[in-house]
This record gives sequence, C-alpha cells and structure tokens, in this order.
Amino acid sequence: MALEAKNLYFKYPKGKKAVLSDFSASFLPGELAALTGANGCGKTTLTKILLGILQPQQGLVLLDGRNIAELTLAEVGRSVGYVMQNPAQQLFCTSVEKEMDYGLLNLGLSEEEREKRINYYLEYFQLSRHRKSFPFHLSLGEQQRLLLAAVLAMKPRYLILDEPTAYLDVYRRRLLGEHLQKIRTELVCGIIVVSHDRDFVGEYCQREVVMPGAGMVENHVDSPQRRAL
Amino acid sequence: MTLFSLVKWDPRCKIILMACLSTLAMLRGEVWFLFGLLVFTCLLVMLGGAELSGALGQVKGLLGLIFSLFIIQCFFTRSGEPWLVIGGFTLITSGGIELACILSLRLFILAFSALLLLTGEVRDYLLALVQMKIPYEIAFMTMASVHFIPILREEALNVFYAIQLRGCELQKASWRKKLHTYLEICLPILVGALKRTRAMALAMEARAFRAYPKRTYLRRLVLKKNDKAILVAVPVITLVLLVY
Repeated sequence: MALEAKNLYFKYPKGKKAVLSDFSASFLPGELAALTGANGCGKTTLTKILLGILQPQQGLVLLDGRNIAELTLAEVGRSVGYVMQNPAQQLFCTSVEKEMDYGLLNLGLSEEEREKRINYYLEYFQLSRHRKSFPFHLSLGEQQRLLLAAVLAMKPRYLILDEPTAYLDVYRRRLLGEHLQKIRTELVCGIIVVSHDRDFVGEYCQREVVMPGAGMVENHVDSPQRRAL
Repeated sequence: MTLFSLVKWDPRCKIILMACLSTLAMLRGEVWFLFGLLVFTCLLVMLGGAELSGALGQVKGLLGLIFSLFIIQCFFTRSGEPWLVIGGFTLITSGGIELACILSLRLFILAFSALLLLTGEVRDYLLALVQMKIPYEIAFMTMASVHFIPILREEALNVFYAIQLRGCELQKASWRKKLHTYLEICLPILVGALKRTRAMALAMEARAFRAYPKRTYLRRLVLKKNDKAILVAVPVITLVLLVY
C-alpha cells in the first residue's frame, strides 16, 4: 500500500529539457513527507503526474498497486485529495457550504454524515461564520482553508498539498500542521506537502524528498527520514 | 516548404487580410465559394510559414463546437427538399445540410484566418493598431485579451480537474450533468478574469499608464512596396468578390 512513482520521465512538449528523468519515489500511508526543491524543478508537475492529470512519457504511478493511468480522475480523487497552489482555481460553487458538500455528495454519504463532517471542518478551520458566503468573497487565506476543509472532509487515503502554508498566518499554519499530524496518525493518511516553508517542513514532516534543480536529468535525492514524530 | 513568408509581412497587412477573409466568409453564402475560400486560407497559412502543428492544435479545440453546430443546423432547419424522413417525420432537409455546411465553413475560415496572426509578435500588432489610428487604450486592451487566452484555458483546465478530483465522474455522467459541470467551470473563470482585470488596471496605473496624453514609441513600422501593394490589392479583390 503506497503511492509510488516508478522511473518517471516527463518532458513538456515545448520544453527543452526533461522535467523528470528516471524519477522514483514512494509515499506511504501514515507518513507526512515534504517535496522540496528550487523553483521550476518540477514539484507541481510531479504532483500532477501522481494524480494522473499529466501522463509521463515513461514510467508509471501506482496507487495502492493499481496503475493510475487505468483510473479516472474521479476514482483517483476518492483516494487522493489535492489542494492546488492557487485556491481560487479549485473553488467553483456558489457558497462555502455547497463547496464543502460537493465532494461529500459525490462520495454518496448520507445527509447526516455530510452535515456532521461539514460542521466539524468548518468549525476546525474557523469558517463557520462564512457558511453562506460566496467563496470568491473570502480572502486568499480563507479560500485556502476552505479548500483544505473541503478536501479533508472527504477523508482521502493520500493527500497532496501544494504550498499549503502560502497564504496562512502563523496561528493557522500551526493549526494545519497539527491537523495533518492528527489525520496522519488517526486515519493513517499519507500526506505529501510541496513546500518552500523550511520551518513547516522541519517541524511537521517526517521525510523530505528533494527534487533536483530545474530541468536537471539526474536522479532525485530521497533523503533519509528527517525526524520521527 | 515556404513559398513566401508571412512573418516578413507588415502586421497591418496581416490584420487587413484577416479582416477581408472574415468579411468574405460572413457576407458570401455559397457553399462552393466558402469551400474555395477555406482552401485558399489554409494554403496561405501552410505556405506562409505558420507553424502548422501548432496551428492545427489551435483549431482542433473548435472541432467539437463546429460539429455540434453542424448537427443542430441539420436537424432544426426545415427549408428545402426532405432528405431523411422517418415515420412520416422529416429529420434532415437539403436546406438544413446546406446551412450546416455554410456555418461550419464560415467558422473554419474565421479560425484559419486568425491563425495568420500567429506569424507575428503581439507587440507588433499593438504597434500596427496604434499606427492605424486606433486609440492606444483600445489597442492595448485588444492585445491584452488575446494574451490572456492561454491563461484562461489553463485556469479552465485546473477547475475541470478539480471538479473531477472531488469525485465527479464525468465519463459516466449524463449530458445534463456534463452541461452543469461546464457551467460550474465558468464561474471561477469569470471571477478570476474580473479580479485579474482589476489587479492589472491597478498595476498599470501604478506604472503611470495614461499619465501623459502622448505616448512615444521606440520602433515604428514602415510599409515596404510589397506591403503597400497588399494593402491596396486585398481590399479591392474583396470588394470585387463581394459585388460579383
């Protein structure tokens, strides 16, 4: 059981160099791993490949042993939650409540269960007072918290967060870190955090996968476990 | 193989050529004429040195839309001879087919004639519009909107992926559900575009946009003999084709 990238090779059609070359890494359930590296080294590209949004020219991604290329995005989405760098591009409903409910409805949960999860996560991320608000009227930080809440409410087995602390203040950054620790242990959720936030990575992540420099073609460095939590 | 290079043409020539081709496509209504015009436009794009793979990639996205419009015209236009009758109900008529062909050809001509502009730089077209006495503000807005098309496309794709990753099974969804999903995609795109417009306006004003009534330009476009000939010949030929 793992989210595994095996010997990935990826080059954008108009790119001069390969973004990923013979890249392998595996992310385990119950682990909080950080994906770090310089700007433009392919971190977001890798997350999109792990989700099946981009197809590598060589190699494959296995989600608990199943080739991700054979799954639809919706099937991947039931197991892997994804929060993009720009939250505004992942919000599409007309109220915070509907945004929260969208994924839960697609999971086929009962009304009672949906309500319970919505209340819990809105409360946890301090968004209850915005329940009826239009998501695009929220600040960037609030939008990011809403997106985190909406994705976490689906209780995915793996979670990919692209720069999750980018718009968060110190207090909410700590809240997020603590919640990630909680779901990692309680739900045995495998979490991949793409981040430049060294403090966050050092404080909460157990392992750091350092991507090679932009456009480089050698293997990545999968550093040993940083710190057992 | 490149017989002539559109890249070397003055941007004003390309704008006028595109405008003339589009005008002909919209004002002439004969299938044979439009088909000939489409072949001519395609040849211009191909032989003029436009990057064909990229050009076809741009038009490919329109195929679905053109096909849907073709089907709608076929089934909903009732003029002409009946061509397909099932159970006493006329499904397709000759008039419907003709109108569908005309509409599809027009859209293809519009798309291919726009591809002529891919052979130049955006800033050259901006300069060309300004030298054609179009107010700088309008020219700038036109070019900025063209510039943002790839960004809007990227954003639309991101929302599309986000919707699916939250468990929406689009492949198995009904047409109604699919239509609803496509409408959902429009919301963040629209809001994003409005926010970006506001941010861009602020950023431009912060950098002294319109602070002085007169702008100066580092370069000026100069018409060569060939360009002048094209600027005269193309509108005249268009006028002749419209009259006869």
